[in-house]
Amino acid sequence: MTTAEVRRPPAAPAPSGRWLARGRAATRLVWLHLRSRRVPAGVLSIAACALVLRAALRWNWMFTSGSLAQQLPMIIEAGAVVAVVVTSHSPFGETERATGRWLPYLRLGAALALTGLAIGVLQLGVTGGSLNGGVLVLARNVVGLTGIGLLCAPVTGGLLAWTLPVGYVAFAEYALLESWVSPWVWPVRPADDRGAWICACVVYAVGLLAFTVRGARTRLTDNG
Amino acid sequence: MTAVAPLARPARVLRLEIRRSVVPWAIPLIAALFFFDSFRTAVGFAPVWTVRSSVITSNMITDFGPFAAGLAAWVASREGRRHTGDLLATTVRPAWARQAAALGGTLFWLLLTFLIGVAALYIDTARQATWGGPPVWPVVVGVVEVTTFAVIGFAVGALFPGRFAAPLAAIGTFVIAYVGFHAALGVTPMTGTYALLSPATAVPLGDVGVFYHVAPDVAIVQVMFMGGICVALAGLVVVAGRASRWLWVAGAVLLAAGVAASSTAFALAGTAKLSMSGWDIPALHDAASDQPVPYTPDCAGTSFKVCLHPAFSLYLRDVNAALQPVAAQIAGLPGAPVRAEQVASGSGVRSVQGLPVAGTPATGITGTPPVYNISSEDPIAPLWGTGAMLAISGWGAGFAQEFLTAYVAPPNTFMPNPAQQAVVTALMTAAGVGAPQFPQADNSNGTPVGPSQAQIGAAATRFQALSPAARRAWLATHVPALRAGHITLAQLP
Repeated sequence: MTTAEVRRPPAAPAPSGRWLARGRAATRLVWLHLRSRRVPAGVLSIAACALVLRAALRWNWMFTSGSLAQQLPMIIEAGAVVAVVVTSHSPFGETERATGRWLPYLRLGAALALTGLAIGVLQLGVTGGSLNGGVLVLARNVVGLTGIGLLCAPVTGGLLAWTLPVGYVAFAEYALLESWVSPWVWPVRPADDRGAWICACVVYAVGLLAFTVRGARTRLTDNG
Repeated sequence: MTAVAPLARPARVLRLEIRRSVVPWAIPLIAALFFFDSFRTAVGFAPVWTVRSSVITSNMITDFGPFAAGLAAWVASREGRRHTGDLLATTVRPAWARQAAALGGTLFWLLLTFLIGVAALYIDTARQATWGGPPVWPVVVGVVEVTTFAVIGFAVGALFPGRFAAPLAAIGTFVIAYVGFHAALGVTPMTGTYALLSPATAVPLGDVGVFYHVAPDVAIVQVMFMGGICVALAGLVVVAGRASRWLWVAGAVLLAAGVAASSTAFALAGTAKLSMSGWDIPALHDAASDQPVPYTPDCAGTSFKVCLHPAFSLYLRDVNAALQPVAAQIAGLPGAPVRAEQVASGSGVRSVQGLPVAGTPATGITGTPPVYNISSEDPIAPLWGTGAMLAISGWGAGFAQEFLTAYVAPPNTFMPNPAQQAVVTALMTAAGVGAPQFPQADNSNGTPVGPSQAQIGAAATRFQALSPAARRAWLATHVPALRAGHITLAQLP
């Protein structure tokens, strides 16, 4: 075959077909991005955390009132959060950054979607039970802890980004026992406390921004 | 190329793992947690060795355990994450040797940090404690517990290598530790004692290990239980790996031995009984540990002596200062105590929560001549906390209130009747030690009943206005009736 045989370019697809193809490509891109980050397994982990939370309520593994009632739910919420933050790890590294401009948007979208999914699935797990503090405290804990994890990811890499959220939870356990009141330790504050919400959201926003712009630090030797 | 002697090779691999371990990067975080959580909590307790050492198996495990599990899982999943299993299979070292070195390197840093934390805790306690010495069993249990957390994490990482292994191992062990702690808080002989397997439990009574030795029974069972888990998981990792036939058999034996040890410990924990020295496990118990620990009390005062156990010498000055003025108000009256002394609070564990233990000495005024017995667990003025806390919390007034209430009211009276309250108030005011804090009596609906606090206060002022000689004369005549509850507010002079 030679170029001489090409007499005219192939006909452009109809506008509707073009949008369909773009849509398919975008969907495929999103799916490949999520799969490369093991997001499906992350979603399963979040669901497992919701089941554990349900079991804790069902079989009274925790205090039912007072500030100490926050302790176990917070640990389990941290379980869902670490499942979110370890999906920030990319197995491709620099190569992926060179391939297009959509990567930051994909990171942003995945992090936002998984945070929302974690809140939704955990809340689904406790539906019908009486979780101390309700969905507001649950959401605030998930948002704040995810922010800490995302903030950690550009420094430690996604695979070790669980360390700081776990450390924060261990510290918050102490703060709950000692009745701390600082809004930066948001698990100790009531559900409608504005200062605690502001602190949790600020941490989340900063973490999300850092992760969106920088991404998680990547070591290609680690490919979990 | 340097030749390496065969015996030196495992040590060399271990040294490499120690040098390249990920744990040192987490040490600042763990150290910060230790300082805020464990250390600050411990220094807020009375400087009694057994009380302060309780944070080793509670708070310190919260600080170390999840990281031990997570980081060990991270190390164990290394070959899986990096897809180097086939490559390493061609080396001369068997998989179990590589894994043992990796686990050893992780445990080296974890246990080193843990023991440094324990040393810091014990050095601070040694500077303040006035009696006794550092208990060893909490350290042994703590070391085994951190090791168990690490082995659980390592097994998770080795069996399920992947990015979720480390974080979920950390959180999973965190949840298990918390659930065990929650169960241990409510353990009673009636509800079953299996939760004693959890090393984390409530802060013990202030005089645990002071009047009676703490029996090591529960600690032995905990070590056996957690050690069994470690051995079983080690066997499981060997069995699950691509091991030779003999290695597989060895792994299976380890697995069976571990399960047997843990099952035995579980069964033993179910036989625990509450005694003066804490929880005893009959099969392991040494009756010699039930004997009281000999001691010479520290005393203050001349005509009215106040004696405390030397472990509580820190409080002697404050207790003496609180009791002397009110003791002088009733000195020489019928039934007035001639001495105050500290007795054991009842049991090593939970007598204050309604679990009676045979042989518990009575608190309040007992004996002939009358002696005022106090324990470290007084509901109003416990021998608890630091000296600075005593100074700011009206603790001395609470102590004086307890003393006078014990004199004018029947034994174990928490809420004296109005006349008794008025007399206590008047005597405390006359002694210049502040006002007592009696709650308003109410019925089951919360509606106040009986005389109001204002009426009681007025009667107290009236009684206090009497001359000291007149007060003493009235008390000398009417104390038996007052104590029996036969005196009304209106009958007070």
